[in-house]
Amino acid sequence: MTAHLGFKETGWGRPRLILTSKWMDPLWAVLFALTCGAVLLIVTGHDPVLAYREWVERAILRPSGIQETFVRAIPLLFTGMAVLLALRAGVWNIGIDGQVLVGALAAAVTASSLVDMSAVVMWAGAAVAALLAGATWASIPALLRGRLGINEIITGIMFNYIAMSMTSWLVKGPLGDPAVVLPQTKLIPVEMRLSTLGGTRVHIGLLLAVALVGCLGWFLTRTVAGYELRATGASPAAAAHGQIPVAGYIIAALVASGAIAALAGANDVLSTKGAFQGEWNPAYGFVAFALVFLGQRSVVGLVPAALVFGQLSYAADVMPRAADVAPAFFGVIEGALLVALAVTVWARSTSVGRSGFGRGVKA
Amino acid sequence: MNIEAVITVLLSVALLSAVPLALASVGEAVGERAGLLNLGTEGIMLLGAFTGFWVSLESRSLALGLLAGALTGVVSGLLFGVIAVVVGADQVLLGLGITLGGSGLTSFLFRETFGASQPLLPGSMARPPGDLADALPIVGPALLGQPWFFYLAWVIVAGAELMLRGTTLGLRIRAVGESPIAVDTVGISVVSTRMFAAIIAGALSGLAGASLSIVELGFFQPNVTLGTGFIAIALAMLGRWSPWRIAAMAIVFGSLRGLGSGLQLIDVSVQSEFTRMLPYVGVVAALLLSGRGMRAPSALGQTWVRRRGAVRVR
Repeated sequence: MTAHLGFKETGWGRPRLILTSKWMDPLWAVLFALTCGAVLLIVTGHDPVLAYREWVERAILRPSGIQETFVRAIPLLFTGMAVLLALRAGVWNIGIDGQVLVGALAAAVTASSLVDMSAVVMWAGAAVAALLAGATWASIPALLRGRLGINEIITGIMFNYIAMSMTSWLVKGPLGDPAVVLPQTKLIPVEMRLSTLGGTRVHIGLLLAVALVGCLGWFLTRTVAGYELRATGASPAAAAHGQIPVAGYIIAALVASGAIAALAGANDVLSTKGAFQGEWNPAYGFVAFALVFLGQRSVVGLVPAALVFGQLSYAADVMPRAADVAPAFFGVIEGALLVALAVTVWARSTSVGRSGFGRGVKA
Repeated sequence: MNIEAVITVLLSVALLSAVPLALASVGEAVGERAGLLNLGTEGIMLLGAFTGFWVSLESRSLALGLLAGALTGVVSGLLFGVIAVVVGADQVLLGLGITLGGSGLTSFLFRETFGASQPLLPGSMARPPGDLADALPIVGPALLGQPWFFYLAWVIVAGAELMLRGTTLGLRIRAVGESPIAVDTVGISVVSTRMFAAIIAGALSGLAGASLSIVELGFFQPNVTLGTGFIAIALAMLGRWSPWRIAAMAIVFGSLRGLGSGLQLIDVSVQSEFTRMLPYVGVVAALLLSGRGMRAPSALGQTWVRRRGAVRVR
């Protein structure tokens, strides 16, 4: 953290404390965020000790809390993988929210047309539809970035807002279920939803997500394409010099990232939601960035980090009743977490400074 | 309704909804000229919109509300500056954090302050005398019949243009965004120049938020900005970081933003989803048309670090 204060140059050898090691960064970030939250609670006249105790008792220590944490970690795991894959290619996929929405809508429509088939066929069909929809939706910002060098951060955010309006119009009109008043797609019957594991609320989406994390790790570290993708992210100029098709990898990474993000939407529709409801927007996108950086940008780190944010998401539902703390409180926690991570990430790394506009790569 | 009245209404709405965009975007451009990419604009706008609305509801004063919004922006800009420039941080992540935190904080405080109620500011708090506006047909109300802040906003935009272009400070800001090392070498402090730019950018974003909630809408609700801050970031780029070009772009995108409410005022029913989508589609289209070959400030998004005896950028 203190690298830029000149410790490295003194030659005295820095005292190597465990507390200042890289692996402690996520813990410090979480503590910082919780402290910010406590300050906010005090300022607004709540009792932070009481609120945090209620949080631990109701959302963490009870079996239902642990189950819900896992359930909510599943879509976050998909979005975290999406962010990480793009980041390894040196690009920022901030279009996650939009890709989740189009993925969820595609999955909901496909699933409701496949209700007469077996459950497995329906799940597979919905997943394929979501993958295609997410990839298609991500391909426009991806092509603009790869071919024309137009910043993917801005187009990604624009496509989020376009997706929100578009999906909400589609479920109100052409894709909605005419049998119900509410704007939503046909409800998937409960017995056709993703099977749960051993009497808990946790469903098989978790197994798929964890398997996909394994695949991602294998792809990035054990395949030629994964290596070339990482080379593109580490140094586009060097990669181009090594005959690696840089623009191709950037486009492919963004498209694949969009497809994976869309699986989060399909997961929600097939498990907890059962349909795509108009104006639904889980806003996983920014959280996914906090998640990836909390996990130290490592593939393995995604899993514990997803559990942390799954817990935050569940706490946001429990706390209004438990301690009269509005769900938006957890937005503040997540924001503070991102700010803290922004500092630690930069201090630890010499290459993240490239995140501006000035890193344009032309093929 | 006759055609002249329709044009009048649409034009008034378009010009008024250009104001928050122009202010936020010019603020972002000042920051980016100094090498600071602040994706927290959306969050800072929300903070300014909330405090501005709250203060102006309590004090019944438009001016105090706007001032409060701008001051909130100064504090947020200071925060961004201290973390990004003095401490050192990844600017993209920091900006996302400020947007997420600002959105959460304002939603939380709004519920704490107002509960489930949805208070409205008394309308027409600052309308100028009508006879002035009636002097010109059609365009009169749009150009002369706006709240006083409307005119102040364009003066601020012009001031930013003059500052960037014609003052030593402006030159320093532009230089520090191109080559911090060169600036440091001639003995000008990179840190204080960037801090100044960050504060100006924050103040303008906060003011933009306050103008949105107070002048344009007259109410606040969670996430009321609906991505205006992100459109502002895109406009800074589309306007090639120059305030007067940004002002022109802001009028174009302001009319896209205001089209929905404008059409509502003249009783034309269009699916609200389509009018809401327009500015975002417009940004993508404009980037597609002009995004190629755009040269951003060279040190944009880079944190500058000075080490003892050596200067390096990373």
